[in-house]
Amino acid sequence: MSKTFNIKIDGKECVALQGETVLQVARREGIEIPTLCDDKRLDPAGACRACLVEIDGQRRLQPSCAWKAADGQDVKTHKVSERVQRHQDVLVSLYMADHKLDCEGLPIETGNGNDLRAWAKDCSTLQLEPVNAPRVARPGDVNPYIEFDPELCVLCARCTRYCDEIEAVNAITLTGRGSETTIGTAGMRGLLDTSCELCGGCIDTCPTGALIEKKAEKTLPHEVEKVRTTCNYCGVGCQMDLNVKDNEVVRVTSPEPGTTVNDGNLCIKGRFAYDFIHHKDRFTEPMIRGEDGELHPTTWEKAIAFAAEGMKKVAQRHGPEAIGFVSSSRCTGEENYLMQKIARAAFKTGNVHQCAAT
Amino acid sequence: MFGAGAMTNSIPEIRDTELMFVIGSNTTEAHPIIAMEMKVARQRGAKLIVADPRKIWLAEHADIHLQLTPGTDVFLLNAMAKVIVDEGLVDRDFIDKHTEGWPALRDNLAKFTLEEAERVTGCKAEDIKQAAIWYAQYKRAGIYYTLGITEHTHGTDNVYSLANLVLMTGHLGVRSAGMNPLRGQNNVQGANDAGCSPVFYPGYQKCDDESVRKKFGEAWGIGEGPGPGKNLNEMMKLVEHGEMQALYIMGEDIVISEPNCNVLEESLKTIEFLVCQDIFPNMTTPFAHVILPGASFAEKDGVFTNSDRRVQRVRKGVNPPGNALPDWEILIDFAKAVGYDMPQYQHPGEIYAELARLSPNFSGISYERLEEYPRGLQWPCKSADDPGSDYLHKGGPVIGKGQFQSVEYRPSAELPDDGYPLILSTGRVLYQYNSATQTRRDAGTNAKAGENFVEVHPDDAEKYGIMDGETVRIVSRRGGIKAKVWLSGRVQKGCVWMPMHFAEEAANRLTNDAGDIVTGTGEYKVCAVDLVPLREKKKAHGGAELQAVRHPEH
Amino acid sequence: MLKKTADRERVLPLLEELGGVTEENVKRVHELTGVPEADIWGSGTFYHLLKGGPGIRVCNGLSCRIMGSDQLAADLKAKGKEVEEVSCLGQCDRAPAALDESMKVFDAAKQKRSITPDDPRLPLNLGGEQNFEYAALKKARELGRDGILKQIEASGLQGRGGAGFPAHIKWKGVSSQPDPVRYVVCNADEAEPATFKDRETMLRRSDKMIEGMAIAALVVGAKDIYFYIRGEFNAEAEAVQAALKRAGDHVKDWNWHFHRGHGAYICGEETALLESMEGKRGMPRLKPPFPHEFGFRGKPTLVSNVETFACVPYIINEGGEKFKAWGKTEAGSKLYCISGHIHNPGVYELPLGATLEELVQAAGGYMGNPMAFSPGGASSGFLPIDKRNEPLDFKGLQKAGTMLGSAGVVVLNDTVDMARAAQWQLEFFEDESCGQCAPCRIGSRYLHNQVTKYLETGDPAALKHANDVGWEMEEGSICGLGMVAHKPLVDSMKYFPQAFEKR
Repeated sequence: MSKTFNIKIDGKECVALQGETVLQVARREGIEIPTLCDDKRLDPAGACRACLVEIDGQRRLQPSCAWKAADGQDVKTHKVSERVQRHQDVLVSLYMADHKLDCEGLPIETGNGNDLRAWAKDCSTLQLEPVNAPRVARPGDVNPYIEFDPELCVLCARCTRYCDEIEAVNAITLTGRGSETTIGTAGMRGLLDTSCELCGGCIDTCPTGALIEKKAEKTLPHEVEKVRTTCNYCGVGCQMDLNVKDNEVVRVTSPEPGTTVNDGNLCIKGRFAYDFIHHKDRFTEPMIRGEDGELHPTTWEKAIAFAAEGMKKVAQRHGPEAIGFVSSSRCTGEENYLMQKIARAAFKTGNVHQCAAT
Repeated sequence: MFGAGAMTNSIPEIRDTELMFVIGSNTTEAHPIIAMEMKVARQRGAKLIVADPRKIWLAEHADIHLQLTPGTDVFLLNAMAKVIVDEGLVDRDFIDKHTEGWPALRDNLAKFTLEEAERVTGCKAEDIKQAAIWYAQYKRAGIYYTLGITEHTHGTDNVYSLANLVLMTGHLGVRSAGMNPLRGQNNVQGANDAGCSPVFYPGYQKCDDESVRKKFGEAWGIGEGPGPGKNLNEMMKLVEHGEMQALYIMGEDIVISEPNCNVLEESLKTIEFLVCQDIFPNMTTPFAHVILPGASFAEKDGVFTNSDRRVQRVRKGVNPPGNALPDWEILIDFAKAVGYDMPQYQHPGEIYAELARLSPNFSGISYERLEEYPRGLQWPCKSADDPGSDYLHKGGPVIGKGQFQSVEYRPSAELPDDGYPLILSTGRVLYQYNSATQTRRDAGTNAKAGENFVEVHPDDAEKYGIMDGETVRIVSRRGGIKAKVWLSGRVQKGCVWMPMHFAEEAANRLTNDAGDIVTGTGEYKVCAVDLVPLREKKKAHGGAELQAVRHPEH
Repeated sequence: MLKKTADRERVLPLLEELGGVTEENVKRVHELTGVPEADIWGSGTFYHLLKGGPGIRVCNGLSCRIMGSDQLAADLKAKGKEVEEVSCLGQCDRAPAALDESMKVFDAAKQKRSITPDDPRLPLNLGGEQNFEYAALKKARELGRDGILKQIEASGLQGRGGAGFPAHIKWKGVSSQPDPVRYVVCNADEAEPATFKDRETMLRRSDKMIEGMAIAALVVGAKDIYFYIRGEFNAEAEAVQAALKRAGDHVKDWNWHFHRGHGAYICGEETALLESMEGKRGMPRLKPPFPHEFGFRGKPTLVSNVETFACVPYIINEGGEKFKAWGKTEAGSKLYCISGHIHNPGVYELPLGATLEELVQAAGGYMGNPMAFSPGGASSGFLPIDKRNEPLDFKGLQKAGTMLGSAGVVVLNDTVDMARAAQWQLEFFEDESCGQCAPCRIGSRYLHNQVTKYLETGDPAALKHANDVGWEMEEGSICGLGMVAHKPLVDSMKYFPQAFEKR
């Protein structure tokens, strides 16, 4: 067990574990500190400055995401410190001076949400004139999934750090300097011409919706119902949320990091390859092969009767050894259970397998 | 003891490991999210040993890359075992307490010398030695493998050889260690769990055990259940020989997935009755007598079991299209139609309850509990207050003792020769999934990898006079297909590599259907092929005419 | 994530060698180093000198502006030359300054620059001849680690780079780390506007600096010693190399390495400098951990300024107390740079704590009617001339709300519009902000925009939030650059309110 000790946050005694940051302790205690650049999968960057707090004995405000808790520390957040609150008010104002705003003067929300918007609502902001930073996008990027809007970017670098530290393909980078800094690629090429594997983790980690899924730009987060399910591709069992609107999967998002086996990560297949669900090529009607040798749509009653009859006839004619059941590692456990039960109980054959071996 | 084919340890444990030995697994492409855990572990300082014939992405980050000749895994692994013995790094205590067959194995290792291993596998003796020493020295040392180990005629021997390494070093029952096959499909594990296996009833209860047959027979109201049946490879052979005359196939494209699919295709033309229950047309459905439109994972409820034995919920988000139905509903209707008294389950939860009731390993798992466990429940999970099992064999093997298995090195069934001088291995790319009926219907996956290709070493390409990007014909004794050449230093000289996803030019028209003696798994990883350039060639290069003469049938 | 074999430290030198950041060069460097292309692109585009594009660089630092750099640029353009206006070139004593295509000072012969004349008693004595007997190093070997540290402590030596941190604490900090691999790094990336003392030290007294570095390496137990020399300082780098050659066997116990800057003011910040040495974007790290525990390559590292190292031989030869006694309000002598509206711009070695008045006297007196001065580079903002008798030292100026910094003093007379001067300085900070944190990145652009708007419209409303934004830059920025970037404007508004009225 790690060593524990007490720290005080806003006057509240909190238990901290050796090695924990002030932010981690605060979150566990339900004390909310705003963050933009924090992602628990990544090394703390301390770059967005949202989480600065007063720490007794420190002249400067310090980023709680990176500051290690120490025995007896006295921490003050914006809730009790006027200094921290003023810092937040002006900082948000600066972010907003560098951000796309809606008609109410708030940071606009895209399909990927915008944490800055909620934070701005909590602060008393100055109305600063827009700074019109000369940041560029990559207009020629024709990749079908990932869109970048520099006017919504706060340069927290979560996307580039994710691409480096977690996905480890290093396709995107901070580029340029000062107010020209933006998210770029080598030669500012489109993502398809880089080492990008289109995992979309950058979209997932972006706090302000500057990175958006092209297929679902317009659908705002509150317009969808999220259905937690398990990915149907490889055997990792990633948990993901189908974003459903009007009986359609419009997007797939990943759960909060640290809550599931995939730690909030998904690959290109899990996150983006869902178009097949509503694809026009899907079988939508049962079909029976007619006398003409072609398949013809029919009713379920007829199709099921036909299938049952066909299987039964062969079993009667050649014995249960002459029929086989091939089940699927793509179907659910329950369906596989029923399949083998049918083989063994209804047809008395042990000839049941699935593609597990291959 | 490794019969269930599941990971002994858990995916989240990987980031805390000290050493990863990854063999026959292109993890970054086939299991990207597990690869992320491996990358985290590497960042935290874990050693990484990769054994793979190709320079896969992980190999570039490895401390040691054992770039072995395809099909020589048994030799490599036994040579490593011998090093561990010679260096005095075996875990005597573990061997004494928890294993059987040690003396026989130890004696059998004598022939696997480093010198011979270097000759057979093509790996440097010093690398093999260092890898073995590290593997034995680190306590939290895990083996991760997948189809590069099993898809061989000696696949079972490969697995035994890995198990020997695990047992002799005592890397079992330890967090972040163990023996970890990474399962390729979302629910391979779950299909096995549920008894879709010719040798197991649900819950890995053996078909050749009379008490098991009676238990299920009674529960299902049929007296005694049937004994073991045929595995898939055997079934396909029976189909080809006309001895199996009806198949009910749910959610599987047997044509694209089976090795040497040419013969199977022929025999499906004459099969008496074929039911295909699926969501898309595929290479098998044209032969069906009846098509039953099922539901995709987004359209139904149920559970999947992942690689680390984790039972997790699948939840319905949308309705199936048109008149398609969830597959479980179709199966109930079908069972009733053939006259079997299948209960009228109202929800998959009721089916799972029946499965759990009959399978001690899952008896603690229920839909109600799964709602409380967002990370799922890992079996064995035997009671309603059992939190499940993150890693297995704590304090010794679960059942009995670990059996050392002495194996002999046998070359692959088909080796290169003058007519077919190259070794073809097949595998997956990140951007497509299996037969790709789903992934090829998406713009981005296709933009990244939309067409078939064959990786060729530049030296071999020069020999054939072929260039990057040109289309060639790849021929084996069983068939021929076309693909674009991708010159790549990732493959070794003398080897070519192809993905298995592309139906129109399916790599499995080439692969060898010789199967593993125990599992019947086909030898997808090694077969002999030749390349035939297709473009008009100048006389000077000469190759094309010669090739065409050599393989006139293709 | 980098491959095990990747070599990021070669990225920036290679890009420079190949002629800057182009797609083709990035690809080549990727092949040569194994570093991902995006990382190379990201690093390369951070640095001004890697953008390519030759031409004459005309300095638009404050001293050059008030001495007519605009006119110089216009004249050169009229002659058909390709002209780029750049941040301070560290040639303020030759204002208005420019560098030609090969980084040589343009028309150097025409301009005079001054230093304190040769006086062998002076600790640094820029006017003296170089001396490679290295008696101090010999003595240091006899004293051993603790003996040296004792003298350094007694000398009261404070870091001459700007922060004024006690040197012996830093040295001890590095030498007491558990990790046996340590590094010594000389910060010669002198780029604070109005500062050119390290430049002169390298040109004239590299002997002292090198000897000081060797003594530091003895104390901290380093085998490898690094220079990080400003990219524009070609002649200076050559001077250091020549001196190192002359030092010969005296310093053969160490491996000496040269890194060059690539055009980024922020790399004078020690952690940004370390990032740059590692081939990355020069963005300051969070502190803690400080370089003495987690520095170059994550190892304990002593990073000190050229002048600080150059003080060390005197301290060892003559004893710490004697060095200390040179100071007036704080320990030692100090190199002060002075430029602007005075007669003899240059570098003067005076007791630490000398006043502006004393400094100007050394520099030949005021030109015109003095109105304001900047005590320590752009970062120190502006003070009214009535502070001319305050000591120029670390602690006193800090109390006065400004700082000695790099001791780059600029005097402005009453011909200068303070709002305009503030705008020039903010243009510099906006250009040189690394972009990592919002207070500095957005704040410096905001203030620059607003003071420009005020100058265009004459309406003080443009500046109504300047104090709030300035406050936040000081409170919220990661590093020292962001913390002080508001000062030229905010301090001017405080001391010279008449310059910001409606006009």
